[in-house]
Amino acid sequence: MNKKQKARIQSLKDTMLAQPRYVSIEQALIITKTYQENEKDSIQVKRAKALYNALTQLEIGVQDQELIVGNRTKGVRYGVVFPESGISWVDREFETIPTRPQDKFRVRQEDIETFRSEIVPYWKGRSLEDVLKERAGDEISAISKVVKINQTDHAQGHICPNVKEWLATGPAGYIAQAQEKMKDCTPEQKEFYSCVILVMQGVQAFMMRYHDLLIEQAKSASAEDQKTMHHVAEICKNLSERPAETFHEAVQSMWFLFVVLHMESNASSFSPGRLDEILYPYYRNDIDSLRLTEDEAQEIIECLWLKFNEIVYLRNKNSAKYFAGFPIGFNIALGGVDENGNDFSNELSHLFLNAQEDLGLPQPNLSVRLHKHTNDALLRHAVRVVSKGSGMPQFFNDEAIIKPMQELGISKKDAMNYAIVGCVELTTQGNNLGWSDAAMFNMNKVLELTLNHGRCLITGKQMGPDYGALSTYETFEDLEAAYQKMTEYFIQKMIPCCEAVEQAHMDILPTPFLSAVIDDCMEKGLDVTRGGAHYNLSGIQMIQVANLADSLAAIKQIIYDEKRFTPAQLEKALQENFEHDEVMRQMLLNRVPKYGNDVEWVDELGVKWATFFRNELRKYTNYRGGPYHTGMYTVSAHVPMGQNVGATPDGRLSQEPLADGGLSAVYGRDVKGPTAVLKSVSRIPCECTTNGGLLNMKFLPDFFKTEAGITKFCNFLRTFVDLKIPHIQFNVVSRENLLDAKKHPEQYRSLTVRVAGYTAYFTELAGDLQDEIIARTTYDAI
Amino acid sequence: MMPSRGLVFDCKRFATHDGSGIRTTVFMKGCPLRCAWCQNPEGLNAVPQVLYMEKNCIHCGSCMQACRNNGITMTAGQIQVHRSQPENWKQVTDACPSRALRMDSTYYTVDELMAEIRKDQPFFAYGGGVTFSGGEPLLQAPFVAEVLKQCQKEGIHTCIETSLYADRQTLDLVLPYLDEVYCDCKVYEDNEHFAYTHVHNDQILANLRYLLNSEKREHVVVRTPLIPEMTATDENIRGIASFLAAIDPEVHYELLNYNPLAASKYSYLDMEYCFDDNPKMYSAEKMEHFRQIAVNAGIKNIVIS
Repeated sequence: MNKKQKARIQSLKDTMLAQPRYVSIEQALIITKTYQENEKDSIQVKRAKALYNALTQLEIGVQDQELIVGNRTKGVRYGVVFPESGISWVDREFETIPTRPQDKFRVRQEDIETFRSEIVPYWKGRSLEDVLKERAGDEISAISKVVKINQTDHAQGHICPNVKEWLATGPAGYIAQAQEKMKDCTPEQKEFYSCVILVMQGVQAFMMRYHDLLIEQAKSASAEDQKTMHHVAEICKNLSERPAETFHEAVQSMWFLFVVLHMESNASSFSPGRLDEILYPYYRNDIDSLRLTEDEAQEIIECLWLKFNEIVYLRNKNSAKYFAGFPIGFNIALGGVDENGNDFSNELSHLFLNAQEDLGLPQPNLSVRLHKHTNDALLRHAVRVVSKGSGMPQFFNDEAIIKPMQELGISKKDAMNYAIVGCVELTTQGNNLGWSDAAMFNMNKVLELTLNHGRCLITGKQMGPDYGALSTYETFEDLEAAYQKMTEYFIQKMIPCCEAVEQAHMDILPTPFLSAVIDDCMEKGLDVTRGGAHYNLSGIQMIQVANLADSLAAIKQIIYDEKRFTPAQLEKALQENFEHDEVMRQMLLNRVPKYGNDVEWVDELGVKWATFFRNELRKYTNYRGGPYHTGMYTVSAHVPMGQNVGATPDGRLSQEPLADGGLSAVYGRDVKGPTAVLKSVSRIPCECTTNGGLLNMKFLPDFFKTEAGITKFCNFLRTFVDLKIPHIQFNVVSRENLLDAKKHPEQYRSLTVRVAGYTAYFTELAGDLQDEIIARTTYDAI
Repeated sequence: MMPSRGLVFDCKRFATHDGSGIRTTVFMKGCPLRCAWCQNPEGLNAVPQVLYMEKNCIHCGSCMQACRNNGITMTAGQIQVHRSQPENWKQVTDACPSRALRMDSTYYTVDELMAEIRKDQPFFAYGGGVTFSGGEPLLQAPFVAEVLKQCQKEGIHTCIETSLYADRQTLDLVLPYLDEVYCDCKVYEDNEHFAYTHVHNDQILANLRYLLNSEKREHVVVRTPLIPEMTATDENIRGIASFLAAIDPEVHYELLNYNPLAASKYSYLDMEYCFDDNPKMYSAEKMEHFRQIAVNAGIKNIVIS
């Protein structure tokens, strides 16, 4: 990009980051009022009218220099209150949102008052949260320490809309389609189509409002900005009337799509999918017809990248603690195989990587799909961006994802075209309500209850059936049999809760706009929450296989094989949180191999139970008629999930965090280096991670200092592909990390550094040497 | 027949600095040299030794209970290891719950070591392999040769890091199975060599000459570790470079910057390091100065790192 282009991006970025963030109740008021004025309408119609009113009434704003416009509030990065899904937490926490430790927002006093007087009373008993509590609250809370049921107080996100179709159709096109369908349909379908027409009309009006605002605001802008603003206004007007034609139009159209999806649902993780593939025809056409230069394309892309950071997600205090930084999960997938299985990437893939490198912002969540024949240029470019330390891009492995997806009933074509939503959740594009975050199943809590008569170690409460305890199982096999029964028990308890949640969404949160951009809904005239989508999956996460494997291995070796302690001794030690048994705890920690070190028998214990859980779950069908499947990722939930689990046989103390990631080893226990970790992880069958897996790794920046280092890193990733591991992401460790490692060595035990002729564990080095390395790392830092 | 065994003090996977690609480096225990600056002091002694890492110790006394001859004592909460006491050290270290006390090395059969090496074979597919280092791997040449031969049979790239302090026959035992050879040339002047390493260098220089005239010469890298006041003198580098250039000016020659972090392992073994006041790494300018000396002496392929 030239100087002027760079200056535009920098100025927009600075403005965005400098703007104060507020909590906004503007849309909440519009929604409430719409509901009150249309009490007799069905929920579906009320929802459509509420969205229409928001599109036509919400205050909007533009910046003079913006090439891409649109947001769901006038200010950027506002936290939007959304009453239909649940606002009890806002009611509880409103005053403290400006002062809480993470994700602070400013609050206007009058908003608090209006919220309490006009919004809260109406939604009592009507919101998703309240309805669900009424219908299944007891069942959900009875198992909550073992299974965390999600989507209970917010709308369903984690969806990849059919962006390609949207670009080629536009709101006017969807209106025409719906009108055509209405000619011959049932009354239920008619209602659906009329809702689609209404929201699409709202979208057209929304686009025209941006046109009008730009023209108006241009009057007082500089001559140069004026030209840009008229151009962007023209694009908005075009898009309200017809599909996108140019690259700039396509990008703007795509952004409007995502703004409106957030206005309709306020959910996290609507993701664009394979944008390098989707946008390429527009890019190629403009380049070939000399309408666009590569630099101009880069500038438009970076403007879009900034937009991705302008919509944030307002979370409650507890959720913000673990998902700080209000991530909303715009995930973009680059590369991968094309529909014929050949290597795919193009100029846009590289422009996207450049944008990540230039901006270094948290959104979009950039993902690169790798496979056996990924070209070197894409891989090297991606590795260079990784080395800058933003943790992006992350890598996904076609070889580990495409085939197992098909086992779920997904067509080969759709599986090959998979994308990622949110963090690491896998989806097909444009035709799937994946419900990827249905629940998190804590396998370690299940083990705890198995070892202790079904009683919670922390509270002493009876949480599950009494199948025995460590001291009553004569053999390791007896223990495993009991663990299996306990797992089956909690799966049976979990399924009705998941169904209740889906049913509540169906009743409370139909989404006509989203439905229009998910394949088959328009065809069937059926909302996506009611099973309209082509694919209807539900994903359950297993938490965490690393701790489970370590615990089972410790019991097997130390108790049953070597008999260093009796089962009763360990049972008592666990009950007492190892208070009087430090020697035993150290034995459990240090004298048994751990998951993540390429020790087959230990890894296989994890494999056995992950596979069992996955197969058991596959016997069930979800409320929309689709299959359940599994994922192995927690993102940050290993901390709160760990708080539910007492002392574990792997030597972990009560309520300490579980392993991070989902596929990763427990912090600091993977002491054989990164190749051993990959080998261990590769033993987990890919069928267990069709909903997504997550593997974290840390590297020092000096690894990437030389071309040889970059080549070795690329080779490492090539083997990652060969080993059929679904996902990996890298944390390039900075000086700050090393300082932290010195302070908290227990969390960094696997961090290796080059010392002298050999590589050593950083935390095992003496303090002055650590300082020496820290000094050196700053010196080497990129 | 007893299968031959090798004493290994570390088998490091994902070694990325000891040759091309992602490698597994096998550190063989025992070295005939006693370089004042040795980077791996636990590799010197050719028998297993006890390591004590105080950081990991919980002072539970389990080790003392496992001792028969007071090999370990505790005074004022501090553990003392008396390595010369006759103890079954394996049993003693096995009693330590935190592995603060551990043996520094393990005997491997060829099969056992091959199993370890094969673990990273999926990574070797992209240019990595196995590197033998030490200690001095040639001190256990028959064992090393057997493993190397097997590696070559299985298509695993092989490499060695050696002082070349060995007789010709020993060197010939392993040479046919090596794809790459890294060898040290530390000090040129023999008296000084003896003073710093406790051995003479005539055999080393002869082996260098032999290697650089052999068919493997393309795959030989000669290295000089730059130790302040000892090897990192203008005269020494000039001497080595002239010697090498006279054999083959195309030789791959590498100057390794001094690394002050070598001292870290000495404390675990109750040993003393050669510098009380540890010097810093050389600056880029100083490295360039050394490089220039070697270039002036006729070396064409020089790398500084």
